[in-house]
Amino acid sequence: MLEDIGFVGVKVGDPVDTFGGARGEQKARSFQVYGYPFLARKPGGAPLHR
Amino acid sequence: MSVAQLPVDPDALRAEVRGKYRDVALQPAGAHHFHTGRPLAARLGYPNHWLEPLPEAAVESFAGVANPFALRTLEPGERVVDVGSGAGFDTFVAGAQVGEDGAVVGIDMTPEMLDKARRNAVCLGLRNVEFREGLAERIPVADGWADVVISNGVFNLCPDKRAVFDEVYRVLRPGGVLQFADIANGRPIPAGALRDIDLWTG
Repeated sequence: MLEDIGFVGVKVGDPVDTFGGARGEQKARSFQVYGYPFLARKPGGAPLHR
Repeated sequence: MSVAQLPVDPDALRAEVRGKYRDVALQPAGAHHFHTGRPLAARLGYPNHWLEPLPEAAVESFAGVANPFALRTLEPGERVVDVGSGAGFDTFVAGAQVGEDGAVVGIDMTPEMLDKARRNAVCLGLRNVEFREGLAERIPVADGWADVVISNGVFNLCPDKRAVFDEVYRVLRPGGVLQFADIANGRPIPAGALRDIDLWTG
């Protein structure tokens, strides 16, 4: 979806076990839910430093 | 996408989300289905030196799902929008990274979170941070204002994700960066469950 909108350079980082040990852990496990960092850039203009 | 095409009614879902996060603002150590506060931030990989300068009130209602600064930290002078800023934890982390020459605008739709974030900003004496009431689908920021948009655990609560990402694209300047954290599921969620508002928030 991000690329459909026009974003470029989409990256996804390593997963983290967001719900481990929390009350929502069982539901999260049943759908293999994890947290992720995402990065994407709007094309054009001067790029940011990194 | 029309409302009829969405899996849930967006107004009903917003009311549910507001209620959930009102509780997190007022009772951060309450019985939530997710972790909160400093233990959560440590779990998600936020380094201690980002947390230590912040008073408990600025951290205790943090309810993010990962670290939006994991793939890129911010640079001094950048202008940042934090979509779904809650009580302001990520906004304050961003404010420290961009410094006095930068600016961070936190956007949230839950009045209790906005109140808490504004009190925290005053307590911290921050002049490069402000909070505005608004929705992810209608961000109250001018076209192309932002160098960076951050968010943490918010987009998954928005039924029309295309509308949200279109809006993020609008507020970013050309060359700007979207860096966000959110959850993703490895197993498909049944269509019936997608229409159950309780499952979106719990």
